[in-house]
Amino acid sequence: MTRFLVKRLFSAVLTLFAVSVLTFLMFFALPRDPVTGMCPKNCNPERLERVRDELGLNDPLITQYAGYMKGIVTGRDLGSAQGGHCDAPCLGWSYVTNEAVSDTIARVLPVTLSIVIPAAVLWLLLGVGLGMVSALRRGTWLDRLAIGFSLTGASLQLYFVGAVLLLVFVYNLRLLPVPSYTSILDNPVKWASGLVLAWVSLAFLFSAIYARLSRAQMLETLSEDFVRTARAKGLAKPKVYGRHALRAAITPVVTIAGLDVGGALGGTVITETTFGIQGLGRTAVDAVRAGDLPTIMATVLIAAVFVVLANVLVDLLYAAIDPRVRLR
Amino acid sequence: MRPRVVAAAGGAIALVVALGACSKNTGEGTTVDTGRTQTGVIATDPKDSQGPAAEVAGASKGGTFTIIRETPISHLDPQRTYSFAGLMASPLFARYLTTWKDDGKGGLVLVGDLAETPGSDVNKDCKVWEFKIKDGVKFEDGSPITSKEIAYGIARSFDPDLTGGPTYIQEWLADTPQFDTKWDFKKNKGSLPPGLTTPDEKTLRFEFSKPRCDLPFAVSLPTTAPLPPAKDTGVNLDNKPFSSGPYKIADNQVGVKLTLDRNPNWDAKTDPVRHQYPDQFVWTFGPTPDAASNRVIADNGPDQSALAFNTVPASLVAKVAGDAALKSRTILSPTPSANQLVINNQRVKDLKIRQALNYAIDREGLIKAMGGPTVAAPLTTLMPPSTIGYKAYDAYPAGASGNLDKVKELLGGQTPELVLGVSDGATEQIQGTQLKANLERAGFKITLRNIPDDAKLDEIKKKDNPWDLYIGNWAADWPSGASILPVLYDGRTIKPEGNSNQSYFNDPAINAEMDRILAMSPAEQGPEWAKLDERIMKEYAPVVPLFVDVAYNVHGSKAGGVFISSVFGYPAFVNAYVKQ
Amino acid sequence: MSLSPVEGVALAEIESGGPEVPERKDVVGRSPGRLAWIRLRRDRTAMVSGGMLLFFMLLALAAPLIEMLYGIGPKEQFQSLLDGFGMPLGYSGGVSGDHWFGLEPGLGRDIFIRLIYGLRTSLFIAFAAAVITATLGVVLGTLAGYLGGWLDAVINWITDLTLAMPFLVIALALTPTLVLRFYGEREAVSPAFGVAVLIGVFAIFGWTSTARLVRGQVIALREREFVEAARASGAGLGHMVFRQLLPNIWAPILVSFSLAVPQFITSEAALSFIGVGLSDETPSFGRMIYRSLDYLQTDPAYVFFPGITIFALVFAFNLFGDALRDALDPKSSR
Repeated sequence: MTRFLVKRLFSAVLTLFAVSVLTFLMFFALPRDPVTGMCPKNCNPERLERVRDELGLNDPLITQYAGYMKGIVTGRDLGSAQGGHCDAPCLGWSYVTNEAVSDTIARVLPVTLSIVIPAAVLWLLLGVGLGMVSALRRGTWLDRLAIGFSLTGASLQLYFVGAVLLLVFVYNLRLLPVPSYTSILDNPVKWASGLVLAWVSLAFLFSAIYARLSRAQMLETLSEDFVRTARAKGLAKPKVYGRHALRAAITPVVTIAGLDVGGALGGTVITETTFGIQGLGRTAVDAVRAGDLPTIMATVLIAAVFVVLANVLVDLLYAAIDPRVRLR
Repeated sequence: MRPRVVAAAGGAIALVVALGACSKNTGEGTTVDTGRTQTGVIATDPKDSQGPAAEVAGASKGGTFTIIRETPISHLDPQRTYSFAGLMASPLFARYLTTWKDDGKGGLVLVGDLAETPGSDVNKDCKVWEFKIKDGVKFEDGSPITSKEIAYGIARSFDPDLTGGPTYIQEWLADTPQFDTKWDFKKNKGSLPPGLTTPDEKTLRFEFSKPRCDLPFAVSLPTTAPLPPAKDTGVNLDNKPFSSGPYKIADNQVGVKLTLDRNPNWDAKTDPVRHQYPDQFVWTFGPTPDAASNRVIADNGPDQSALAFNTVPASLVAKVAGDAALKSRTILSPTPSANQLVINNQRVKDLKIRQALNYAIDREGLIKAMGGPTVAAPLTTLMPPSTIGYKAYDAYPAGASGNLDKVKELLGGQTPELVLGVSDGATEQIQGTQLKANLERAGFKITLRNIPDDAKLDEIKKKDNPWDLYIGNWAADWPSGASILPVLYDGRTIKPEGNSNQSYFNDPAINAEMDRILAMSPAEQGPEWAKLDERIMKEYAPVVPLFVDVAYNVHGSKAGGVFISSVFGYPAFVNAYVKQ
Repeated sequence: MSLSPVEGVALAEIESGGPEVPERKDVVGRSPGRLAWIRLRRDRTAMVSGGMLLFFMLLALAAPLIEMLYGIGPKEQFQSLLDGFGMPLGYSGGVSGDHWFGLEPGLGRDIFIRLIYGLRTSLFIAFAAAVITATLGVVLGTLAGYLGGWLDAVINWITDLTLAMPFLVIALALTPTLVLRFYGEREAVSPAFGVAVLIGVFAIFGWTSTARLVRGQVIALREREFVEAARASGAGLGHMVFRQLLPNIWAPILVSFSLAVPQFITSEAALSFIGVGLSDETPSFGRMIYRSLDYLQTDPAYVFFPGITIFALVFAFNLFGDALRDALDPKSSR
């Protein structure tokens, strides 16, 4: 177990390192020069060159990369053009939004968390619930309805569903306020009402997938020998289904859920754009558009951390749920 | 069984989408009057520069005025403000040496803001200018604003850390575009740039080596906003500027929401243009132009006193313009932002081809493709109609959709092959598709070359860019020909990159004529620029004028007092109020 | 931000089928493939959705022919049929005998013929991407699973790395850059290149699920008696892979392929949504839908026709993929 963890963590760190290097290289291949964006008219090439120098954009790539990484570990001095000293973990200074990138992240990360976590709870409950019901009531109208629902959801796109929901519930019926983010600590009701549309549309699309998956898993498990044995031994239906079958059936669902949530935490670009909420995903996209290197690095790295963590967690959960799995 | 689900789901979507699809569009009522004339003067009577500003009819105090915009304001630090949103937000919390008194209908008067008058030309040669600072002007902490703080504001604009703002005053004072090396701000804190002096607390003096007759206009930009040296937080000032205007920054969640509260130390009696009606101004960022317009049209809760800062997108124009009930909630005005099909004169040297392009253009089709008369208005001149002294003419009458006979005659049987560089952004893709079809109909062979949206401007500003045609835009910083024609058509300014003269047009006779006009007093220049405009087009046709942007904004039922700035073409907030 | 649904779900759903696919209790002596085909034929859903898919593919293939019969090209503009705001005159977004699905607002191009060509582009991209990702996935998955050891570890790590790179951000950064590098500054970028770049981006990010799936299957098979037997009798790598392993796992690969195609169709649309993808000259579903969504209130017909088409297409693919899995794996039958 410990050995497994160490191995996994080592591989995770290696992955993050590779992600950071690739992102860094990708940035320098971008057609956008971040500095020219700083003067809308009357660009003076010599002056721009001095700005580039001051921002360190003319240093060798390795120096720039090492500087950035050192900043994360020990903090570093960025110079007066970038807000002076920057404490560890220093994610750099965005010369596009003119603030420390750690401030940006501190602002947008809770937004993405607030979108993804409740949505994930919703889509898991809805999806697994539907899948279970339709598996246990196989062939009935309930099953058909659930399949229809899940196939429809799996065939729709978020921007489409989102646009229709917005039009109906916000602009026409005015049942809901315009989607926005309020901190749950400030006002839980506003927090929920501002994000509920995002949750519902994410949940609709994702739960569809989970319903299909968990139905298939449940059917599979129900035909397994150990379930039949348990039933034959005279165990009550709810007990068999609830304890034995569900447990076995849910394992792959957990895997997928972990990876999906991990991926979604890295930013739900389409959701954020559709509902006009500034989270991690949109921040990353804006940063790429503006050639804002420190912000690109920070958002990509954080997204990668979530994915990698989710991977490790899934492995651990797997072992916890399904005793047949042994971690090597 | 499952196919039935298909039908049901399809039906549900059809139902939602088909709502309201059954009315017939007959095309009536889709014309819009966007004509207006600009008059501009520099105030000669000091009374014009005195406060308080006249009350706005129907205005009342109180309430929160919300402004919804897709992208954040790029800089709040006045010395770094240059974007339109920044220029429109800035007057709420910053005062300048001079400012425009704007009736929102094209009538402009340049008045003193912090200064008692819009400047005095001491020797009548435009080389020495003096500004007297008003009594009773204060910062948000109650400390008085003197010439020292204004001078410090200008001095810090030399700091290379503080990029982004206009550079007119700096370049004129240093007499070189390399102003930041000529005078190093960081090494000379406590002193002032060359030529800038404060003989006493009430006087600010500029001395230039060349005549700078446009100075009163240039100091109406936020570069001249005052700042006490002790309050200078360097790059961090961008997120919390120190206010000298009627509002101050109460809270700034960068990129999300900017909240401005009343500044109790602002005195209406000193201010000739601003008001302090709402308790609060809130800028919110994030929603797309479509979402913002939809919100404001829905007119729900706090959105009743909101304005969508982005113009009504083409996709919603039909809904907004077609709804009589919304008419009172829209503001419509052509802007000074002029768009051209820029011809790269280094490549297309044949005047006949450039003239043929001018005859070939289908302005009506182009404007239709963009969303109609509430999005753009046709333009046949170099300067937009909102320029002081403007005179309308059409050097190459192409009619509404092109004069193909004239094109044929000029081309004389040849088929010029031209490359049109377009950004891969949504708007230019549509314009590019439209222009290609239009020009090919007229007998040209057009190759569309996509340029990444973010890089397009940098690329076409390079002298040796490889394209023959591209779409260019110029919005002047003040409505004088001096900030348009010399900037765009003086060939002596052409450098390897970063050119505003994107047609790379260079003609000694025209250059000399510009020098002649520039030495005149600003009041006399207007008609001369208009004459030069026509001459350049008739003799050289360096570009194809296309259209001016039209501002078409929608606001909530309780929002009042917003007008489109005659200088910048975006909603101005100095008169804004919330109906109670 | 990964190519999410392709990842994961297809994988787990298919894995549940397991390597037991070839049923051994065959009495009549029909091959497993033949059996699956018979089951598929009996499934009405499969037949209907399969028919729909065939219809869509025919439309796509016959696009130039349809253009000839219809008499209107995808680039032709009919601006005289638009009002001053650029909105189509007449009913339902300009639907008429000449323009069956009406006209695009603004440019005034015919929606029907653009849909047909868009179908062609999108289906081509999706199929090509699915084929490439499947091939990549099978090769890497087999290698990792069969040879194991350090190769397995490396391939696994690359898989993890690919999953950790944010797909949309990379696509956004990469696409314009590639165009700049490959084309002369005065050359028009050919639509084919734009298509190729998209396929490439999908290929880079889309192969992981198939690779994981195949690896799992191969590992399970590796220890089976018939594989051991073949190995003991001295079979080479080629023989092992092509004669022993792949024939036994083609079913889940096929299912994953059929479920990946619709994901690529919707991914193309998602990319358009953040402004990456094909230029306006190439008709595609993504661009059409992205542009039309804004017109939900003013020209619902413009949203309706592309929207319903892409929905029907993806829906048919999903139905068919489901049915295919049922047919190939009777154990999880409905």
